[in-house]
Amino acid sequence: MKASCSVKVKNPQGLHARPASVIVQMLQQTSCVVHFTYRKQTVNAKSIMSLLLLAAAKNAQILVEVEGEEAEEILHRLVKAFEEQFGEKGWV
Amino acid sequence: MYHVKDLYQKHKEALSLSLLAGQKGLLRAVRSPEANRPGLSLAGYLKNYTNQRILVFGPMEMSYLQDLDKEVCLHRVKGVLTPKTPALVIACRGGIPQDIVSLCEEESLPLFRTKMKMMEFSTRLSSLLNEEFSPSTTCHGTLVEAFGVGILIQGDSSVGKSETALGLIERGHRLICDDLVEIRLREGLYLEGSGPELTRHLMEIRGIGIINVAHLYGAVCVRDDKKIDIVIKIEEWDDQRFYDRIGLDQQYCDILGLQVPYHVLPVKPGRDVVLLVETIALNHRLKEMGFNSARDFNKKLLETIEKKQKQARKISEGIL
Repeated sequence: MKASCSVKVKNPQGLHARPASVIVQMLQQTSCVVHFTYRKQTVNAKSIMSLLLLAAAKNAQILVEVEGEEAEEILHRLVKAFEEQFGEKGWV
Repeated sequence: MYHVKDLYQKHKEALSLSLLAGQKGLLRAVRSPEANRPGLSLAGYLKNYTNQRILVFGPMEMSYLQDLDKEVCLHRVKGVLTPKTPALVIACRGGIPQDIVSLCEEESLPLFRTKMKMMEFSTRLSSLLNEEFSPSTTCHGTLVEAFGVGILIQGDSSVGKSETALGLIERGHRLICDDLVEIRLREGLYLEGSGPELTRHLMEIRGIGIINVAHLYGAVCVRDDKKIDIVIKIEEWDDQRFYDRIGLDQQYCDILGLQVPYHVLPVKPGRDVVLLVETIALNHRLKEMGFNSARDFNKKLLETIEKKQKQARKISEGIL
């Protein structure tokens, strides 16, 4: 099963260490393969260093691709996390 | 409860003490880590007199007492010697009136004489008593020193604490104690760990038995006490648990009211725990020197993101 969608980074400081850590933590348990693509660069979303290499700023559009049994659910959770700014909502 | 007897037995030499009278009172409690020079109280002013400190008479007190009438002298001394007074120490080279000696014997109040000078004695007594009265606790774990950093290794039984310590010793680091660590709060500022005298420098390794590290690896591989800088908890790898991947937020644990940097180190086959402990120690040193790799990296990352944002803004403005 495959699922993909484009999400927008809403965190004022972009996709820095803390949000990246949240993504990695979220994907730790899943067997799905998750890739993020930003500016033609595709990385494994389970690797924190790769995520950070994207250096995605606020409003960056990231293509999220999930492959595996629970693809839809993982994608839904990721979209929600992006939406909620990885718990940094309200931060300046 | 700390008794006069404990002080006398432990620090007799350090304080040059000799017991003159009142042996029966050696079990009197010492409740305050301070010495008291009575001064005004000896002159008869007993308002706000604190009677729980060890009394010290120096040359000044002794010459004052000598100048008094025999009866007045005895009355004044009786005034400062209360049932709660732990002991009386005379730090003066001259003679001691027999009346004072007899009084102490009667009251069962330990009377000591020291060969040290008044100020020297008073300072040393306060310092020794402060050490004795400092808060302490014991915990299960292994205390080692790696690259000068005192590391308290904790974890469940048979998780590999002793083996980790052995690996560190083999690499030239030092063992302070294994299994039971006595921790003392020094000057309210730092924690000092040491091992019980009986098991000092001994380790129990499953399958080998008890080994003496000082004999096996040499005196250079052991030390008696060490300041505890960090605590590392070794635990079995748990797939359900999320382990720190960045290190931006330092965790702390509470020991005797002090916050000590705390790391959880999961173990599983293929992870060289000794190397990881060494790395944590080195990283701690680096942080102490003001370099925080995780923070520096995040700062660099935020700068890069900002730069990219500015570039994108410029491009879009150009197009518009």
